[in-house]
Amino acid sequence: MRILVVEDSPRLQRTLGTALRRSGYAVDLAGDGVEGLWLAESHDYDVIVLDVMLPQRDGLSVLAELRRLRKNTHVLLLTARDTVADRVQGLRAGADDYVVKPFALDELLARVEALCRRAYGTKQPRLTVADLEVDPQARRVQRAGRAIELTAREYLLLEYLARRRGHVVSRTEIEEHIYDGQVDPMSNVVDSAVCGLRKKLGPAPLIHTRRGLGYVLEEAPAPAPP
Amino acid sequence: MRSIRRRLTRELLGVSLVLVAGSWGAFFLAARAELIEQFDATLRARALTLTTLTVREGGHLRLEAADRLGREFSMARPRDFFEIWASDGLAALRSDSLGGADLVPPRGSGSRRVVWNLELSNGRPGRALAVNFQPRPEKDQGGSATGAEVRLAVASTREGLDEALAELEGIAAIGGILLLLAIFWGVPRILRRGLRPLDSMAERVSLIGADSLAARLPVDELPAELRPIADRLNDLLVRLENSFERERRFSADLAHELRTPIAELRSLAECALKWPESREASTDRDVLASARHMETLVTRLLALARGEQEQLQVQPVEFALGDAVVDAWAPFAERAGERRLKVAFDLPAVEVSADPFLLRSILHNLFDNAVDYTPPGGEIRVALDAGGGARLRISNTVAALDADDIPRFFDRFWRKEAARSGQQHFGLGLPLARTFARAMGWSLSADLAPLPRFLVFTLENSR
Repeated sequence: MRILVVEDSPRLQRTLGTALRRSGYAVDLAGDGVEGLWLAESHDYDVIVLDVMLPQRDGLSVLAELRRLRKNTHVLLLTARDTVADRVQGLRAGADDYVVKPFALDELLARVEALCRRAYGTKQPRLTVADLEVDPQARRVQRAGRAIELTAREYLLLEYLARRRGHVVSRTEIEEHIYDGQVDPMSNVVDSAVCGLRKKLGPAPLIHTRRGLGYVLEEAPAPAPP
Repeated sequence: MRSIRRRLTRELLGVSLVLVAGSWGAFFLAARAELIEQFDATLRARALTLTTLTVREGGHLRLEAADRLGREFSMARPRDFFEIWASDGLAALRSDSLGGADLVPPRGSGSRRVVWNLELSNGRPGRALAVNFQPRPEKDQGGSATGAEVRLAVASTREGLDEALAELEGIAAIGGILLLLAIFWGVPRILRRGLRPLDSMAERVSLIGADSLAARLPVDELPAELRPIADRLNDLLVRLENSFERERRFSADLAHELRTPIAELRSLAECALKWPESREASTDRDVLASARHMETLVTRLLALARGEQEQLQVQPVEFALGDAVVDAWAPFAERAGERRLKVAFDLPAVEVSADPFLLRSILHNLFDNAVDYTPPGGEIRVALDAGGGARLRISNTVAALDADDIPRFFDRFWRKEAARSGQQHFGLGLPLARTFARAMGWSLSADLAPLPRFLVFTLENSR
């Protein structure tokens, strides 16, 4: 899951970045409205955490511009303005959630997670594919009742594939959602991560390669009748 | 409670009642007098006829054309009567209609002509006229023209007159009542209609509350008398709306300014508790920076609040303003050099009486802004003018600044960047400087000089 944080206070920006990365998200940071809008337009984020009072271009106008461009990214407004009128204005401008500063970090993380869930059209906190079970809250993976240890990156990849189970996911999409801006697009990080994940998941293959298209996580298709 | 409508109603009703009663009464009396006058005119005409027809024949009086008169004054139609008394007071002639009775002569019958009311012989009310005249002598006998005067009294029953008078009274009474009803019905309605703009204005004004300050009174629809009031009220509303808007912005800004560092502190602490291994040396520096930021903010807000409540201790001292300016500039010289700013001073010797601490705070704020907001390579000019007091002008070149920004310069938390990007400036320096200047009895104003674009702050001691 890839998150964009647009926040003008550098200290808050740093802390939010750390907390979200520690929670397993790929995070990009922007310090003003113009940079935030540019990043939001050019990448496919799962959630944008957007401050309202921003230099150069305020959060509400960034949000309005995004919606005008038909970007449906989930946006969580983060602001010090707490009156009902401000909340209503924010939500009407197209925000999906509204958090008032100062906030509890856990609550913000839970709301970001809920928005990620909504991004893939499910309200179920656990993701299951055949005998594989992914619990995003506890960041635990089980297969046939047996716990599987994954690295943070492998877990992210699996969660992303699980959220989009049954759909072919391209390498670019995986790069966009799992890795933040620092990955060399020409590298084969995705392929090697998928390879490592397959090994850890065990013999019955769940991640299938669609040649030239990408990967899909689904139950092995039933063997063709003789 | 005094009410214009009630007072006007009372007074208008009073005045119209007096006027209507007066004119209606006068009309009634005139009509009545006219009726009686007509009746009397008939009596006079009859008397004239009788005096011309009465002739003296020897020692007797006789009426000519007695047939016609006999019909007119006959017994069969006892409505009109006459009687002529000779100079000795004895009845000489009387109409048949009197049926032999006498007409009651008027009291005080000495005067020539008199009109009076009387009871006729048949018991009916009547009105009579009496005149003295000299009967004409019989032509044939050629008697002397002069002779003893006789007295003639002509009377008629006044039933017809009384009926007409009663009818007139009836009409007057009914008409009067209708007029009164019309007045009582009409006056309040006319007033209500006339005062309707006042009512609707009162209603509009009563609907104006703290959340509907954008409402304005429709001046064009109002009558001329109410326009000045509505104009002033609209002006007041504009000012009220602006100041409400300023206060609202201030509280929103204050919330932002206070909540952001709290959010920083809280998330730093929560992050460090959640992932103790993520704690770096920079975390503590961030905590300290947030705390100091809040400290500065709170100190400035308190100073501002005290200044606005006039609780500042001002201790004026005489000193040379030029020296104070040079001292205050010293800490900024290095930063100005780094930003390649050209600085020019023109400081003639001027002694002022001011609180040195407050003056230094003001200069500090102005220099701080000038050094930070002048574009690199720009120019700062500091000029002192001694004419009539002391006027210090601190001007600097500016890049992006509109004339519209100038009035908002002294709003709390205002910065050109609605964004609070620079963590160094709170947007409290200028309001604070102005508050300090006012506390000392000085004034601080900002102006944008056109080409070359210079932002000019003028600190002035008008005394």
